[in-house]
Amino acid sequence: MARDKIYLEEVFPSPFMQLWQIFRKTPVAMVGFSCFIFLIILAVFGPILAPHSPIEGQLDMLLLPPAWHVDGNVSYLLGTDELGRDMLSRLMYGTSLTFGLSFIVVVISLVIGVVIGSLSALTSGIKSSFLNHFLDVILSIPSLLLAIIIVAILGPGISNTVWAVVMVLIPQFIHITRYAVKEESKKDYVLASKLDGANPFRILYYSIFPNIVDRIMSQATLAQSAAILDIATLGFLGLGAQIPLPEWGAILANGLDLFYIAPWTVYLPGLAILFAVVATNLVGEGIRHALKLRKER
Amino acid sequence: MLIFTFRRLNLFIFTMLLLTLLSFSLSFLFPGDAIINISGAINATPSQLIEIQNAYKTDSNIFWQYIAYLSHIANGDLGLSMASQSKISTEVLNLLPATIELSLVALFIAMFIGIPLGFIAAIKHNKTADNVILSISMLGYSIPVFWLGLLAILTFSISLGWFPSAGQISLLFEIELVTGIQFIDILISDSPYKWQAFADASAHVILPASVIAVAPATIFIRLARTSMIEVLETSYIRAASAKGLTFQQIIFRHAIRNALIKIIRHVGLQFANLVTIAMVTEVIFSWPGIGRWLIESIYQRDYTAIQSGLLVLSCFIFVVHILTDFIYAALNPLARGNKYGS
Repeated sequence: MARDKIYLEEVFPSPFMQLWQIFRKTPVAMVGFSCFIFLIILAVFGPILAPHSPIEGQLDMLLLPPAWHVDGNVSYLLGTDELGRDMLSRLMYGTSLTFGLSFIVVVISLVIGVVIGSLSALTSGIKSSFLNHFLDVILSIPSLLLAIIIVAILGPGISNTVWAVVMVLIPQFIHITRYAVKEESKKDYVLASKLDGANPFRILYYSIFPNIVDRIMSQATLAQSAAILDIATLGFLGLGAQIPLPEWGAILANGLDLFYIAPWTVYLPGLAILFAVVATNLVGEGIRHALKLRKER
Repeated sequence: MLIFTFRRLNLFIFTMLLLTLLSFSLSFLFPGDAIINISGAINATPSQLIEIQNAYKTDSNIFWQYIAYLSHIANGDLGLSMASQSKISTEVLNLLPATIELSLVALFIAMFIGIPLGFIAAIKHNKTADNVILSISMLGYSIPVFWLGLLAILTFSISLGWFPSAGQISLLFEIELVTGIQFIDILISDSPYKWQAFADASAHVILPASVIAVAPATIFIRLARTSMIEVLETSYIRAASAKGLTFQQIIFRHAIRNALIKIIRHVGLQFANLVTIAMVTEVIFSWPGIGRWLIESIYQRDYTAIQSGLLVLSCFIFVVHILTDFIYAALNPLARGNKYGS
């Protein structure tokens, strides 16, 4: 029998790997994680997989109910809207708009927020106190209100919505990074590498970041669920994605007049938003649960 | 307590300065002429325009312009609404009480439902009841509020017909505006149909307030659960149970009081969240509040209204924030003392 390991070597997994090992043992979190992956795949390949065009309607197929209904048509699985556009295709295209864009939004604001947050953690005194108060003020304004104001400055439209939500999410990332970095730099292992003569950036990159990445991830899932809801709400209010775009909130607002005749045009996009947010929150809960378990070990 | 008050006051002034600075800079960021954005006088004749320019000191530098803007706000002059050409300050004074009323009712519903459920979850920690409550709360804060509002209207107003779907009160009742808060106005009015009006106003408020309350209630569930779990693990609870107190006595006399204090601290933070949800809900339920007015002024590109609306709403949230801080400090002596070092 071949022995791969001749020497008994103890391997210490990185904090992130430790987290993953606990995470994948929680079934609920894994279900959420698979839904999350499914949504990402749908967001990337949705436009290729969609059976019909999301914008061009079939005029002889107006307001078709979903396929399980008596009047349904199986080639329009989830029915059509008042212009004969296939709901399933619209929802699939909508995945890349609502879910995919919210993912991009979170990544952009995470990078900016973490950079500013860790730089500000290195400063102290009046600059730091000013930033702290400034962040408090920004965080005290409701995120949606701030997003609405930014959209009012930039004008309605999906790309402006994205920038607005990015700007709204950045302060949260700054806050959490700053707090986490400050907390970690009081610990002994940071002191040890400081005594070794490492400069602040090296300490930040090699010592602190691997230990706070999980907390930032947990914040990222919170931010993602907020981003999905914000983009959808702005779309619903008519300030985000404009008319022909199949953004989930906009589809919902579009179906509003037909709510009583064709309830599926309102139920389905709402369920899609709910599904995306629940999947994201399950992943977030899983991460927080794993963080707690790791701390208790 | 004096030093605590002083610190809070300091923070309050700083925040107000920043918020006014933000809304002042908005008039430059919005499309169009800054002086028209800030005053809202779109139909001004050239001579009036010169008068306004003098009032806002546009020919001096930016610092004095800001000071002029501050003095206008201090005099209660928020400019004219571009859409209706009426004074924004009076519009805000008419609309803000409706929002306060709605959000306070929602806050109380959220607290009365969320906190006891959270306590139950904490007492039954890691049992079925705990898991069920946690799953419901997860679902509750994932639901998009506009969708929930529509479903609520469809079920409770259209299908079942239990509650009215829009507005603050039926138009049949003539209630004089005194404080702006509908319930107080009804109670102090001398209308013979006072109690019918009261019942009608309550029926109108229940549906929107419950829709708003769902998301904050789930957050209160989580807060109550974590703080109760923390309290139940402390040594004074163990001492109480060692003394031979029954479980009810421990929970009602010792645990709930200590757990509640920790929750009160977060009420202020949750309030910002609640007001955002209230803004969207006001649009769906046609509630005559400041949120709907603000969103409508965005459709109308009424920049003066947007600017003042932001200022008023965020001031309101911040005042509530500071108030809860004071209540927390008054209830919990520990919060006043240990701030010295920081």
